[in-house]
Amino acid sequence: MEYSPNLFKPVAKDIEAAEAIVRPSVTYWQDAWRRLKQNRMAMVGLWTIVVILLIAVFGPMISPYSYADQELVAQNQGPSAKYWLGTDDLGRDILTRLMYGARISLTVGVLASVLNLTVGVVYGGISGFYGGRVDNIMMRIVEILTAIPMLLYVILLMVILEPGLQNILIALGLVYWLSMARIVRGQVLSLKEQDFVLAARTIGANNWRIILRHLVPNAMGPIIVTATLNIPSAIFTEAFLSFIGLGVNAPMASWGALASDALQVFRSHPAQLFYPAVAISVTMFAFNFLGDGLRDALDPKQRK
Amino acid sequence: MRRFAAILASAVIIMVLATSAFAAPEKLARQQKMSYNVGAEPATLDPALSTGIPEAVIELSCFEGLTRMDENNIPQPAIATSWTISPDGLVYTFKLRRSSWSNGQPVTAADFEWAWKRALRPETASEYAYQLYYLKNGQAFNEGTITDENLVGVKALDQYTLQVTLEAPTPFFLQLCAFPTLMPVYRKVVEANPEGWFQNVNNYIGNGPFKITKWEHNSKIELVPNPHYWNRSAIKLTNLTFYLIDDVQTALSMFETGQLDAFDAPPAAEIDRLIQQGFLHKSPYVGTYYYMFNTTAKPVNDARVRRALAMAIDRQQLIDRVVRGGQLPALAYVPGGLPGSKAGVEFRDEGGNYFTEDVAAAKKLLAEAGYPDGKGFPTISILYNTSDNHKKIAEAIQEMWKKNLGIDVRLTNQEWQVYLDSRDALDYQVARAGWIGDYVDPNTFLDMWTSNNGNNDSGWKNAKYDELIFGAAKTTDQAKRAKMLHDAEKILMDEMVVMPIYFYVNLNVYKPTIKGVSYSPLGFVDFTNAYVIE
Repeated sequence: MEYSPNLFKPVAKDIEAAEAIVRPSVTYWQDAWRRLKQNRMAMVGLWTIVVILLIAVFGPMISPYSYADQELVAQNQGPSAKYWLGTDDLGRDILTRLMYGARISLTVGVLASVLNLTVGVVYGGISGFYGGRVDNIMMRIVEILTAIPMLLYVILLMVILEPGLQNILIALGLVYWLSMARIVRGQVLSLKEQDFVLAARTIGANNWRIILRHLVPNAMGPIIVTATLNIPSAIFTEAFLSFIGLGVNAPMASWGALASDALQVFRSHPAQLFYPAVAISVTMFAFNFLGDGLRDALDPKQRK
Repeated sequence: MRRFAAILASAVIIMVLATSAFAAPEKLARQQKMSYNVGAEPATLDPALSTGIPEAVIELSCFEGLTRMDENNIPQPAIATSWTISPDGLVYTFKLRRSSWSNGQPVTAADFEWAWKRALRPETASEYAYQLYYLKNGQAFNEGTITDENLVGVKALDQYTLQVTLEAPTPFFLQLCAFPTLMPVYRKVVEANPEGWFQNVNNYIGNGPFKITKWEHNSKIELVPNPHYWNRSAIKLTNLTFYLIDDVQTALSMFETGQLDAFDAPPAAEIDRLIQQGFLHKSPYVGTYYYMFNTTAKPVNDARVRRALAMAIDRQQLIDRVVRGGQLPALAYVPGGLPGSKAGVEFRDEGGNYFTEDVAAAKKLLAEAGYPDGKGFPTISILYNTSDNHKKIAEAIQEMWKKNLGIDVRLTNQEWQVYLDSRDALDYQVARAGWIGDYVDPNTFLDMWTSNNGNNDSGWKNAKYDELIFGAAKTTDQAKRAKMLHDAEKILMDEMVVMPIYFYVNLNVYKPTIKGVSYSPLGFVDFTNAYVIE
């Protein structure tokens, strides 16, 4: 058989198609979200948090009672149509107080986390980036602050301020950024030696730009995980401080204060302790599951 | 006085004989051991320096004064066997019995003289020194205006005779003789270590029915009968343990598991149940729970505002629902159970109520003071020392004021010591407080509001009030004296320096097998005649 050129037809050169990426391009965040969705426990945690958040925001608005409304003749009642979870020792609606407590607990958790993020990231970023003597001094300060027990801060603050929400926030703000600062410093320390930092520097980016636009975004994974896991620990600290009487002022209701009140009537009405205990536990679990899920999801090594 | 006591004693004996003749005799338990929670680690066990009731209960077990209160709160001969009183009521001559300290040394009149002068000495710095101001020159010596202690009106005439000269006739002086501040102390150990002599139980030499064998700090104090007590044969207990637990929840658990035989003031939420189970017993208590005002702070510097606040709470509901335990609503300051103008008449019954609860009138007063419907009323704060009961009462009152007067009130809780400092520095607007009488006379409640009294933390000064109180102290005529005290109370209530809330009731929890424990209306608990039945 003789081959002639006319037997052949050139294949249409479709460069576009050749270059087309079969797998859709996903960003880092899309990928993380996809992996998070596969983690069932993390999703349960996420939805639980959303529900608690909605209850905290809208619950007290819908409730016909306020957290301080007393009906002394109807004290220590069991659940009824009028009071869904019953009333406490001063005849206050437990459900309303529980929902109001969620507000306080979540406020404390989120605010502590935001404080933690801003202060911790900036402090750790500066310390890690400049290194040397600056790093040395800044980290020693962190170590000194870590060495002082938090309860001591709170009690000392009580002497100056009245006990209350702002006292707790100040105490948490003073302490909670420390671990964040250390984590960010560690990340920045290893990232700053990499080539993209050198590249940024060669085209004339200044230090601030390098820290905020290059180093911090690359360290975002560990930062978010730490921040998420800090929320439940802040909530728990608030509950604990309120429980021992260093927390919010009566009659304000936080979960710890509710548990503390309920303990007084524990022998006769154990259910009153059960509600805040469940609320605290569920919230803690939800945030911890989500935090664990985020850690897995944001780990680039797990990318498939 | 003595005659009356003798009649009463014989009446008691007849009654005891009568009941034992008809009722089945109580069978004594084989083990005569008893435990009681005094409620707190004692700050000191020095009778001259202690101020709290926990300390007093322990001291009553370890020491014996000239007199001892019986269960009807009438002073009975103790170390003093008899006494004579001069016609003008100023000179008391006590005859002392031959008794000894727990180390076998004799207790003499000189021991009393020395102990009283020690309590008065300025360097001893006894807060309760004013219990001895009734002695001639007692106050002057304590305040340092005279320095010669021989001028103080107490003198040992011989080994067993004590002569006491008073500044003014004091109808309740024999009661004071049973008070811890006036108890004798063993001179040698106190002089050897004036600050800390009581800390070593071996040095804690007393002359009372019991002696301490062990003091586990913040846990318990163990006592056994004092073998040298003059009335040793009357002591039936072989062991007495005082627990030092300040948390009533813990005390309740210990009681329910059988570790504790008796304690006082159970948690409010458990009162109904304990009454049903038959463990809770009420006894009279001469005390008032009240809120006091800082009369130098806006807006409570206005008496109309203070009256409005006092009239706008529902005391009965507060008692039934929050405090529980059947206290009495207080519409006056001095509680019941105190003598009035003549024998058998109570001061409170004579005085009656000084105001009524009336929300409409309270609103009107508040409007007159410039705050119609609570508008423009500055946010004030109720200060209370950390305690669940105080907190609950404050929360209930906060809500009542909000509902009835439309004013917003905040709550501030402080630890006891900080709270006392704030009160002292007038760094508050409204503060909770309570007062338990030191002796059975209205004066113990009223004299603390005189201008310069250390317990007057209200910033209130009233010359007319001072005049009445000091005048009453110098009067021998009981009717006139009572009248002056009534007038003084009226001023205090018209000005509403304190807002009375309720009159205390002593809530004692004890097992049915516990007998003979004497609960005084002044809060003291006496175990001298205690025993355990099967």
